[in-house]
Amino acid sequence: MKKNIHIDDFTRPGGQVTELDPAELDPLPPPYDKIDKPSIRKLTEEQRKRMDASLDGIVAIGLTPPKTPEEEKAFIDKFLAGIKKLFSADDNWTFLQPLVHTLEYCVKCQICSDACPVYISSGRQDIYRPTMRPELFRRIVSKYIKKEHPFLRKIKDSDIDLNWQTLARLGELAYRCTLCRRCAQVCPLGCDNALISREIRKVFSQQMGIAPKELHEKGSVQQLRVGSSTGMTPAALKNILEFAEEEIEEKTGRKIKIPVDKKGADILLIHNAGEFLAWPENLEAFAIILDAAGVDWTLSTEIAGYDSVNYGVWYDDFQFARVVIRQSQAAKSLGVRKISFGECGHAHKAGIVVADRVLTGDLIIPRESSLPMLEEIVMSGRIKLDPGRNNFPVTLHDPCNMVRLMGIVEPQRRILRKICPQFREMTPHGVENYCCGGGSGFAITQSTNFPDWRSAVSGRMKMKQILEAFQDVPGAEVKKYVCAPCSNCKGQFRDMFEYYGVWEKSGILYGGLVELIVNAMADLKKPFIQWEWH
Amino acid sequence: MGTLIIVLTYIAYVLIVVVYTIKITAWLKMPPHIRWDLYPVIHEENYRYGGSYYEQPEWWTKPRPRNTWRSLFYSLKDNFYMGEYYKRNRTYWLCLLPWHLGFIFIITFHILCFFAAVAMFGGLDIAANAPHVAGRVFYTILLLTGGFAFVSGTFGSIGMPIIRLADRGLRTYSMPMNYFNYLFFLVVYGSGLLAWLLLDPTLDEYRAYWLGLITLTPPELHPMTVLHIILFDIFLIYLPFTRSTHYITRILAYFFIRWDDEPNLPGSELEKQIVGLLGRKVSWEGKHIPTGRSWAEAAMESGLPETKKDTP
Ligand code: SF4
Ligand code: SF4
Ligand code: SF4
Repeated sequence: MKKNIHIDDFTRPGGQVTELDPAELDPLPPPYDKIDKPSIRKLTEEQRKRMDASLDGIVAIGLTPPKTPEEEKAFIDKFLAGIKKLFSADDNWTFLQPLVHTLEYCVKCQICSDACPVYISSGRQDIYRPTMRPELFRRIVSKYIKKEHPFLRKIKDSDIDLNWQTLARLGELAYRCTLCRRCAQVCPLGCDNALISREIRKVFSQQMGIAPKELHEKGSVQQLRVGSSTGMTPAALKNILEFAEEEIEEKTGRKIKIPVDKKGADILLIHNAGEFLAWPENLEAFAIILDAAGVDWTLSTEIAGYDSVNYGVWYDDFQFARVVIRQSQAAKSLGVRKISFGECGHAHKAGIVVADRVLTGDLIIPRESSLPMLEEIVMSGRIKLDPGRNNFPVTLHDPCNMVRLMGIVEPQRRILRKICPQFREMTPHGVENYCCGGGSGFAITQSTNFPDWRSAVSGRMKMKQILEAFQDVPGAEVKKYVCAPCSNCKGQFRDMFEYYGVWEKSGILYGGLVELIVNAMADLKKPFIQWEWH
Repeated sequence: MGTLIIVLTYIAYVLIVVVYTIKITAWLKMPPHIRWDLYPVIHEENYRYGGSYYEQPEWWTKPRPRNTWRSLFYSLKDNFYMGEYYKRNRTYWLCLLPWHLGFIFIITFHILCFFAAVAMFGGLDIAANAPHVAGRVFYTILLLTGGFAFVSGTFGSIGMPIIRLADRGLRTYSMPMNYFNYLFFLVVYGSGLLAWLLLDPTLDEYRAYWLGLITLTPPELHPMTVLHIILFDIFLIYLPFTRSTHYITRILAYFFIRWDDEPNLPGSELEKQIVGLLGRKVSWEGKHIPTGRSWAEAAMESGLPETKKDTP
């Protein structure tokens, strides 16, 4: 097993830069220290022919190799033209300053490496260092964009020989970073290596038209076309809501009409549409709470108005802007006073913070997180809550996008402290949390063996943290709950928990925050949370 | 020789100021970027745990208290303490901090020498046994600053390459230029250290040199001090071409990127700037982007294949 990786390993045609050895991954506590199947499936010969897997044997994008030298040259030229655009204030005013700063001022001190969950969990594989992508990128810029003199490149050790394979590896490598920005948080120089991952993804998408299909074709493109990245049409949404209303009645005895397209409502609530399909209990719980608290709210059926996801925030500025604009337009056409985002981390960051400098004029509609509103409801006593109903061990996962990236740290904790007597924190938590491993689109990326990788490597640190948070009650007989107020994180937990057999081995269920609030509602006849949801 | 060092010193100082100014201005002149804040944001009220104004319902109706002094203190303090390194790589920190303090102190020492020279020109005697207390205090401060700079810089310049070579991660990412810098800086600090210890224990020669500089009278100095001064001038000329601007740009990055949480409110100056930026033409060639149109037009389009222009 080769650990010291050099640039030549990336430029060498053929072969694989690194082979992951399960024995080298950061160990998990028992019984997870032994897993009975190969932790990451190998690609078949046929898959290898079709898709480039020469980085680490894993495929997120899976580029098809060019057929002729001319095709290879055209690919490289077009890519380099894209890199050049990253440095143009017209094409890339959006991120020019942080990009230039990171490229110019990183001193390669490696402080960020020790903060990166992917690097640590992988058993410190060089290729996953947060500095690896920037190193390749910087060399390309030095040689092909700035065209620095060979002598300068020599003393700066910034040479590189570009070929198609290098770029294919770089593209894949940009999808081995969850954009959790834990590395950026510790950088004493204010550099942001996560941003470099995103900028590389941008060149692939905005210039080359290449992105994992779950993000682009089946993601943001689908969202702009039919209304949701899940492919759910407004008509299907209405059916699902009817079903949810029936379920609410069945579970709580309450007849609640979920408001849709209600003109002039106070709040437009936008959920991650994944909730409608995979976790309807989340949107049901929202409806129960808002109804009980007498909030004037509505859902929308406009394009993107019923799906808060914004995958563009992970790979493409234009797709990102298109979605936030549609969301604001949906709010404008309903005449609501504000938009509130449901439990989805990246939608929070994208829709509330990043969107801020794309929206102008009458598209600037106040946007906020639903968590402070929920806190207000819980603390106000408007609904009667009995913490005794949540008397099981609960821990909280901090979605990076909501916490480290936008500073919403305490509202969810104050709620949990009030309604969950056995609430305990993970270590570390809050703004220093670790990503669930499904960030930046990973949770929805189902390509070949990529899901194995994100359970075994990118989610490993979180897995460890969860097990440690419950180490006083490790057995499956004690039912436990990981509160993850983020759809994307829940997607990751679903897959990762299944991968490790977490329910069977440890009795841990994941779910949202609102489910716990409703579960604590004193006047409900039966518990809202059902352990069979696992 | 005296004339040479006067001319060289002036050139060095003019250059360092000019190049730093150009670099900082270029940094600041880049257009406002999309928000990319990262918490904790130190000017925020709840910075201790990393909270932001988004923790309040209807944040846009609430005051957003902002403590800029705290942020300034926090970021400047780190130039002298380097807390992240202390927390995360103590051995590295043990060499890195003295190395950096060497820079800060040697430059401070020279600035102080300038003021000392001005005071001397005005008639103040600066020495261990000067009649006026100000002269004695000045003398002590100069001695401590200069002495510390030489010792600390020399120690750091020896320690840094050792640490870089000993640590796998650091070694892989080190470039020949790093080692050249360590060596060069070692010569600069080392020559100063030797001149101080062997020939000029009171650092009197630097005051004479600075007096010469401001009166334009070539001073009579020992060749060892002259050598150090020439090396120091070259060091000043070289510095702006290294990453040393990071003393300043890291603070800019904190304020203008990491902690930039200024919301874009309707009618604000920021909104006007953004409208301007949205008018810029884009040249991306992806099929979903209308090349040649403005940023705003590209964002208003859905970019779907059926509405898409024919791309070459
Ligand atoms: S990004 Fe920052 S922490 Fe990481 S190597 Fe560069 S300077 Fe060091
Ligand atoms: S953003 Fe997260 S995953 Fe990506 S390099 Fe940084 S710490 Fe690692
Ligand atoms: S998936 Fe969740 S934890 Fe991971 S980056 Fe996104 S918000 Fe963070």
